[in-house]
This record gives sequence, structure tokens and C-alpha cells, in this order.
Amino acid sequence: MQWRGTSGTRLRWLTALAFAVVLLSSNLRASSLTDLARQLAQRTVAITGPGAIALEIVNRSSLDDHSVNEVRTALEAQLRGQGVRTAKPDESVAQVHVVLSESLREYVWSAEIIMGQDEHRVVLVSMPHAVSTGAPASAMPLTIRKTFLFTQAQPILDALMVEMPGGTRLLALDESRVAVYRQQAGRWELESSLSISRSHIFPRDPRGRLLLRRDHLFDAYLPGTLCRSSAAAPLTMTCSDSDDPWPLAIEEGGARAFFAPARNFFNGTFSPGIGKLSTAPSFYSAAVLPRSGYTLWVLSAVDGTLHLLDGMTDQVIRGVRWGSDVASVQSNCGAGAQVLASESGDPEQDSLRAFEFPDRDPVAASAPAEFDGSIVTLWTESNGSTAIVVVRRGGTGGYEAYRVSVACSN
Amino acid sequence: MRRIGYQLLVAISLLGAAPAATRPRYGGTLRVMMQAAPTTLEIPTSAAPTDYWDSARILTLLTNNLVELDAAARPQPALAVSWQNDMNGKRWQFALRHGVKFHDGSPASGAAIAKILGDIHSGWIVRAAGDSLTIESDYAMPSLLAELALTKNAIVKRNADGIPIGTGPFRVAEFQPGGHLKLAAVEESWTGRPFVDAIEIDLGRSLRDQAIALELNKVDVIETTPQPAPGGMQHGRTSLTVELMALVFSPNTRAQDVRLRDALALAINRKPIQSGLLRGAGDPTATILPNWMTGYAAAFSTQPDLQRARGVLADSRQPVVTLSYDPRDPQGQLIADRIALNAREAGITVLVSLSGPADVNLVRIVLPSSDPATSLREAAIELGMGQPLIHGNSIEDVYAAERALLDGHTVIPLFHLPVASAASSRVRHWEPDRTGDWNLADLWLEVP
Repeated sequence: MQWRGTSGTRLRWLTALAFAVVLLSSNLRASSLTDLARQLAQRTVAITGPGAIALEIVNRSSLDDHSVNEVRTALEAQLRGQGVRTAKPDESVAQVHVVLSESLREYVWSAEIIMGQDEHRVVLVSMPHAVSTGAPASAMPLTIRKTFLFTQAQPILDALMVEMPGGTRLLALDESRVAVYRQQAGRWELESSLSISRSHIFPRDPRGRLLLRRDHLFDAYLPGTLCRSSAAAPLTMTCSDSDDPWPLAIEEGGARAFFAPARNFFNGTFSPGIGKLSTAPSFYSAAVLPRSGYTLWVLSAVDGTLHLLDGMTDQVIRGVRWGSDVASVQSNCGAGAQVLASESGDPEQDSLRAFEFPDRDPVAASAPAEFDGSIVTLWTESNGSTAIVVVRRGGTGGYEAYRVSVACSN
Repeated sequence: MRRIGYQLLVAISLLGAAPAATRPRYGGTLRVMMQAAPTTLEIPTSAAPTDYWDSARILTLLTNNLVELDAAARPQPALAVSWQNDMNGKRWQFALRHGVKFHDGSPASGAAIAKILGDIHSGWIVRAAGDSLTIESDYAMPSLLAELALTKNAIVKRNADGIPIGTGPFRVAEFQPGGHLKLAAVEESWTGRPFVDAIEIDLGRSLRDQAIALELNKVDVIETTPQPAPGGMQHGRTSLTVELMALVFSPNTRAQDVRLRDALALAINRKPIQSGLLRGAGDPTATILPNWMTGYAAAFSTQPDLQRARGVLADSRQPVVTLSYDPRDPQGQLIADRIALNAREAGITVLVSLSGPADVNLVRIVLPSSDPATSLREAAIELGMGQPLIHGNSIEDVYAAERALLDGHTVIPLFHLPVASAASSRVRHWEPDRTGDWNLADLWLEVP
């Protein structure tokens, strides 16, 4: 993200954004609940008519206490507006037992209306569950900083921020498209969607990479497929079958590796190579650490080992319990660049930690940053100083994209 | 000292973290056990729930449907990538996915799919035109998409030996009827090649045998009873309540008087049966469809009311009623006995018997779809009821139809029950579908 202004400005902006999103979401939900309460009141009064009723409300849904109180208040207000007041059972013409329930698809509220000994009626109202619009931005002022970008139901393969005429855009890659979002009133609004046309079958764990380019806006690398954007607005994208190697380095002309098109890993062949090395074992991801006089590559191999490639040798490190995805970020702190790696095997909560390689072994350089879900994507962004993390949430199964960076502790 | 500190940091970095989240790995053979021992690989008609689940789980690996339902019961593209329908829902047009092939190499063309669906549904007119397919009927089909997602509507051909030939992520490599099934990963699967190379399924294995095999690490995925998993079982999973246990009156029952059926429904105390005999699994219910599907179950009371039951019967003279149960159901007899006891307290004589035609049967059926209208229709067929009249797509329409079905008390819903399964510790991404499917194509095996 090409932030402008001071860190204080950023913090104020983020706080305002978070507040705006929360407020908007909260208002929307309250409005929907009130509307549903109005419908239930109307249908109830159509049966009871005006007068006194004994009203009982039971919550068997995922609504929290605050929302239930909102519903109760709204329902009683709507009933009053239609000439119905609540009273004790022995002072009422009807007993109304309201159950706030839900199915997989929707909220379902029922009102069981008992009038006298025999008349027993049920009315129902329903409302689809709201589609999550994502959580507000959050940033942890620790060594690893994470900033929430956006969420969607489909797997996010990569994302990047780019400065364009009219402001910052967020580009999000999934299996079917590159979505271009523009920030409007504190929210990312979809501006355009570039479809991915392909003849190649994607693997079950599809991966993809978005990279900014000098002569056009971006390239999207997908298994067996390469998509290239136009250079200027209106933005278009052309996709074709491709077995070209994927760039491993941020800079153009750097090391590249061939991605196995029917699998979820690089097959270990480089072109151009890393120094004198043109092959390595199959690997999931690579991180690069600049050194004095050479570049150290850290590969997360498919067999669970780490491989350190310095252009001459391939050193294997066993027993490192990292995840499959690693990425490097330039921080200008500590050694100047760190490797980010996921930890934890708990599907409910993964964490990300920065490591340095002062010698040949990794040393933790930050406290872990926690994520509510499993980390499924980790790529260095085109600017080299931030990385994109995608987390798959348990339960809802949605995907959340974050931008992370490493900041100096002091 | 400085050196020791550095070594300590390295040690923490190498060993201190919990096992890391890794990307799926390819390879290996998944070992599975099932209770059912099918001699043909198809959904048996009037199947016991166990037979249904096992057959459905196998067919899901071999086949695809035109449409599938997601976790929120919304239709999603499968072999059909898009669709549209006319105003009254009698005519639906589907655009088919390009380039999909059956396991025998033949194209999954519109013509091939039209023939398969046309053979299953004589009441449909199914036509193909290139890569599009049209389904027409004389009656409105508002829930057609959910119906097409049912396992019984899987797009599957069969070879001369009756072996299914589908478009799914696995193909049949070897089948010993009733004994053993080996499936091989399809490299060119349009959904992506599965992570495991093969699945070996031992058929006809009791739950006890399966649990022992898991303890001994001789199997990866098993079925279990929906109770807390015993020691050694890794990753136990329980589905949503996807089965219904109910009393179903026979057409020729001696309980023709609706007052008798009404009184029996009021007399049954479901909660003690659920907490005791069913060991807390499932939910007492007075509806055919579970609350997670409809949200309106609370509008049907499950509370027993002996006083009202006796009042309904008044002084009428009622016949003795015989109650039968499925002897394969381990809790069947105990639950039937408890129902007879409840009935007696209301003044109804119920004899539990397995001999001769029964007046009422204790049955367990599968609710095969997460779409309420589709499940209600399928349940009505299984329970021998008339087809429900569902006038629209809203939950209010389903409620009205279910209320009408239950009004005569020819069926008394008792419990909604889940199904359960477990996997060994070497199985990763063990996330069975909440509606009972195992999603074995998405599993992968940890490197030993």
C-alpha cells in the first residue's frame, strides 16, 4: 500500500476507516432486524387484532443479546403502533410466543399465537443471512504489522495494491478473475472485473501470483496459464496457456521457477537459475535474503525440509517446523530483510513470524502475529517491503487478505 | 555465553513451534472402512440409512451432478456452469461445462447427460443442443436445482458389468462386490486431480471392527456412532442432523381413528429417550425437517401432554396397536418398548412385535438434501406419504406444506439424528461436509 503522510495520519485514517465500516455494518443490520420485526408485528396483529397480548420472545439463533434487545424493542414499538400493547397473560386476549431461530440460509422468526382454548396459529417471517462484508482494518503495533484488506467467499490467490489515476486500487486474484477495487467512503468497492479465460484445469489447491510490471500494469501467473493486463485504462486482460516459469524475485529478470501445472508446487527447475544452480527439489515457496556479495534463497520443499541456496551450494535444514509458505520482506530493521513463515498446525489459528539467518540457521526475529484461520497464501508484494497473507477462516469458510510488514521494535 | 544464547535461539526457532500448517501433499493410499456391503455401486431403493450413506459417499467420488449445493444450501455450478428458467419454473436451460469427459474417455456431452437424466425421470423432457441442455415438465419445478444436486441424479453411465463410469475425481480400479473397492485418482479430473493416489475401501465392516482397526492404525477413515469418540480416534466429526426417526402408520393400520394417532403423538416423551437410549445424540422433534434446514421447528411442540392425550381419546374404545421396528437398528427395540410404555400411560395399548404386519413402524430415513423443499419431497416418498404441495420457494411455503403433511398424524416425527465419522492422525484436511459427505477428494496424507 502506498501510504501517504505520517504514521500518525495513517493511524487516524485506519481508526476512522474501522469506525466507518463498523458503523455502516451495524446500521445495516439494525435496519434489517427492525424491518423483519415490523413484518412479524403486522402478521401477528392481522390475527390478534388490537388489544392486549402477552408477549414472550425466545432466542434460538446466533443473534447476540444486544440484537435480541433491538428486536424486542422494535417488535413492541411496531405492535404499539398498530394498537397492540403487551400485558400479563391473564389480562391479554392472546399469548404470543415468538422464537427467533435460523436455518443455514436465513433467519426464521415464528410467532405462535394462542387465543382462547382452541385457536392456535403460527406466523413466520424470514430474512437471508447477511453476506459478510468483512471486518474492519486491524493493525498490531508489534514487530509484524498486519492490515486487513478485504474478504470474500472464494479462495484469494494473491492481491496487490497499486497507485492509479483516481487513487489506490486493490487488485485481487482468484480462480476466475482479477477484481479491481477502488476505495469509496472507507470501503473497497468493486470497480471492474477481468475474467480469466483458460483451457487448463486448475489443481485442487490452486495458486496464483500477481506481479506489477513496467511496460503494462500486471501479470497474473496461474497453473498452466498466464494473464497479461493492458498498460492503460480501460484495463483489459488477455490469458493464454503458458508453461513459462514464474518469477521468484521481485525485480524483473531475476530467478524464475517452473510451476507444476497440475500440482500445487514448483517442480524445482529454475530458468534463469540461482547462480550456478538450475535445479532443486520440488518446493512450495521461496524467499530471498540479500547478503554481502551474494543472495541467499530459502526454499520450503515439498518434503518438509528447508533448502538454502547461495548460488553455489544447496544446504538442507531438517526439523524446522514451518509451514509450506515463506516470503521475504525488506524492513530496514535488524538484518534489513526477514523471512516470514507460518507456524502452528491448528486449523483454527495460524501465526506468522519473522526469521533471520545470521548464520545458516533460522532465528526468530519477531513475536508471532496471530490469524483467525489457516494461512493459505503468502507472497511478497511487488514493492518488496510487504507481503500478502490470505487466511481461510474456519466455520464460515471465507477468505481474508491481509498486508503484512515488519517494523522495528524500537 | 553469547554463543549459548544464540544456540538457544536457534533451538527455539527450530523446535519450539507447533507443527506448521502445510500445503496439501500429493500421494499415498487412503484406507477406508464402511458398514455397507453393496453388491452394486448404486443408491439402493428404500435403503437403510447406513446403506444410503455408504453408497452415496462412494458415488460422490465417482460422479458429478449438474449442480451442487454449497454449505448454505445455495446451488453452485458443477457440470452445468449456468442456468436460467422461465417464469413458472417449468422450463430450465443449462449451459454445460466444456471439455469434461467420462472415465472411459467419452465426452460428457449434452446428449449423453440428457439420456442419463431422461432415463431417471420419465416425467421430464430432457433435450440437448450442443453444450446446452433443456429440462421441461408439465408441472412447476421451483426446486429443480436442489433436486439435480441429489446423489440419485448423479451423471453416471455404467459398463457391461454395471460399474459406474462418471466424471468424478476417482474411477473404479477394482470391485469385489460386497467385499472390497479400490478407486484410483483421475489425473485429468476437471475438478483437479485428488491429492491421494488411491482409495481402498473395505466393505461390510462392523462399527466395532472399524474402531479397532483405527486404534491399530490399520485404517484412515471410519464410520462411528455419534457419541464422543473413544480413545485413539483422531478427528471425530459429527454431521448436522441428517436422519429422521419417526413412527409411520401403515395404510391398513387398525389405528384409523385420528384421535388415537393424535393421542399417541401427545403421549411420547422424547427427551428421556434421546438423552438415555440415544446417549444424547440428535434432537427430539415433531417435524420432518430439522431446524437447521427450516428454522421453524419451534412452532411444533415436542413436549408430552398425557392429560391432553387422555382428553383426546375421551372414552372412545381404541384397538390394540402393534409396533414394529428395524431389527438392524441397535436401539430399535429399546425405543419401541419405551414408546409402548409412554402410550400405556395415556391409555393406549401398544404391542411391540416383529412378526406379522404392524400397525405402526419405527423407521429411520435419510434427509438427502440441505434444501428444505427437496428434502420434504424425498422424505414424503420414503415415509409413504402423499407428495407435499409446496406452492413457492419461501420457507413459509415449506412450513405450510409440512404442516399439512403432519396434520393427520400418519407420521409422528421423533428424533433428528446426525451421522459421525473419524479419521486417523495421518489424514489432513479432514473436513467432512456438514450434511454427511466425506469430501475424500480433498484429503491428503501426512508424510510418515
